[in-house]
Amino acid sequence: MSTFVDLLRVSLGGLLARKVRTVLLLLGPMIGVAAIIAAVGLTDSAKGDLKRKVTELGTNLVLVSAQSSVGRQNPTLPKDAADRASKVITVEKVAAIAQLANIVVTPYERAKSQFETVPIPVVAVDDQLPNVLEVPLVSGRWINAFDESATTRAAVIGIGLAREFNYLPGEMRTIELNGIRYGVVGILDKVELEPAFDNAVFIAFRAAEQDFVDNDIQPNKVYIRCKNGTETETAIALKTAINLGGPQEVQTEIKAAALELAAQSDRQLQLIVVSMGLLAVIVGGLGIANVMSISVIQRSAEIGIRRALGHSRAIIGAQFMLESLVVGFLGGVMGVLLGIGAIFTGVKISGWVFVLASWLPPAGIVLAMLISVLAGVYPSTRAARLEPLETLRLG
Amino acid sequence: MSAEAVMELANVSRTYGQGEATVFALRNVSLRVLSGEFVSIVGPSGSGKSTMLGLLGCLDVPTSGTITVCGKEITALGDADRTAVRGRTIGFVFQQFHLIPHLDAAGNVETALLYRGFKPAERRDRALAALQQVGLLPRADHRPVQLSGGEQQRVALARALVTEPRILLGDEPTGALDTKNAAMVMELFANLRSPERAVILVTHDPGVAAAADRKISMLDGEIVADERKAVVL
Repeated sequence: MSTFVDLLRVSLGGLLARKVRTVLLLLGPMIGVAAIIAAVGLTDSAKGDLKRKVTELGTNLVLVSAQSSVGRQNPTLPKDAADRASKVITVEKVAAIAQLANIVVTPYERAKSQFETVPIPVVAVDDQLPNVLEVPLVSGRWINAFDESATTRAAVIGIGLAREFNYLPGEMRTIELNGIRYGVVGILDKVELEPAFDNAVFIAFRAAEQDFVDNDIQPNKVYIRCKNGTETETAIALKTAINLGGPQEVQTEIKAAALELAAQSDRQLQLIVVSMGLLAVIVGGLGIANVMSISVIQRSAEIGIRRALGHSRAIIGAQFMLESLVVGFLGGVMGVLLGIGAIFTGVKISGWVFVLASWLPPAGIVLAMLISVLAGVYPSTRAARLEPLETLRLG
Repeated sequence: MSAEAVMELANVSRTYGQGEATVFALRNVSLRVLSGEFVSIVGPSGSGKSTMLGLLGCLDVPTSGTITVCGKEITALGDADRTAVRGRTIGFVFQQFHLIPHLDAAGNVETALLYRGFKPAERRDRALAALQQVGLLPRADHRPVQLSGGEQQRVALARALVTEPRILLGDEPTGALDTKNAAMVMELFANLRSPERAVILVTHDPGVAAAADRKISMLDGEIVADERKAVVL
């Protein structure tokens, strides 16, 4: 241990004695590592907001919708689709909805003429939807089991609609659906994965059956949260589980898939710049090998006297190897800092979100050290092999 | 009192080249240097002095014969062990001083104590003590370029002494110095004699040789004379 401390002191002393040379040596690995860090960081940061959204929303939301290949209008899913879906073992949460057509929504009677032209979707929901979407209510409450069993005319509206109608949070207001008054009991926050919900009105299934649909209402969409990482398998299993060989056709969609795709960094660009950075690190390594080799010749007298004083070949070799390693380490650290600085600057200028994979900085430093060790092999071997007799020019 | 032999060469030859091109730098030399002796080895260029110095300093191994340093036969050792013996028992002073330019005087002296398990503070204390011994304590933080030749050689001497070697080996130690500094360095050498230490100087300077108690003359790779000064009490 004390030998290593001694070695480190000697190596640092050797580097500090030639400051300009040491700084020049640092530049190679430093620029290379900085280029790599900046390349990966900037391409990642360019998609940083999308990446963050993916992380926030989770990729495990699967949407099952009814589909009709024979042109049937308003295709539906089996009434017990939600129950069937929950039979799939990877499914964690389920919420069924039915989108209702041709309902005129107005905030109050006199505004009817004003709002008729804009179709506002009305959706029959169960009590699970916000839970599955993982979206909170801005105010009030969601449709609950009591609304369902008692057929109350309670409605929740999306945040967009609330803004449109100038609702104040907690305000007691009514909304008219085809002229039937519903009490607004809550406002649902923004639903990133289903933007249409922001301007929708949500009511209970029984209320929908009572006021708008003559026959038994059937869901046409089921939202499912599955175990993380099982999206694809779950989506496939759900088709069978919900259809069960019946006439209704089923279509599944992993909601965040598109977002995830959009959030992917530009791999090609990343690869090109990383390759160039790698090249810079390697060239930097060659620089270290080159300069260190010359240094060994220049310092042959020093090596000779150290050998005469009893420093072994191994110690001399280690001394030069350590000098190389320290250069690599410092170059790596400075490269990482420079790279992070470059990302920060880029992010600031472009208004991106700062993203840097946590393994990158240590990997950059390790890479620089690895290259410097390789670069140090030849000079340090050479230093170790120098014969003191040859370098000391005895009388 | 019979002093022990710190350095013993038995039938040592050192040749360079092979076959018909073989050159004998040293031919069948035997020599015993006792602890407490002050020996000079003299001879003209090409007499084998430098080869002798390399062998005495454990920097080289003979082609044949054995060398024993403080009871250890170094001709049987590998490079690493020979290096260890060299570090422990021999202190070197060279004609060209061979100080490490980027270290100050104390740093240069400390170099001899590296990798021996000393704590930095202890190393420094010992180095400063050695510098005091050669009268250069006030110059401890000066670099070699800031020191005169004589001062540099005294730093080198301190570096050789700091390990408390049994053998002090000087290679033309006054060769690069003016008369005044040479005299000062020689005086230091003379003062460094002790019963525990042998001082061996290789030189072609008759003045330096005369300062020693024992003069070994070499010619063409052989010892041609080995004279001891009459002991003056």
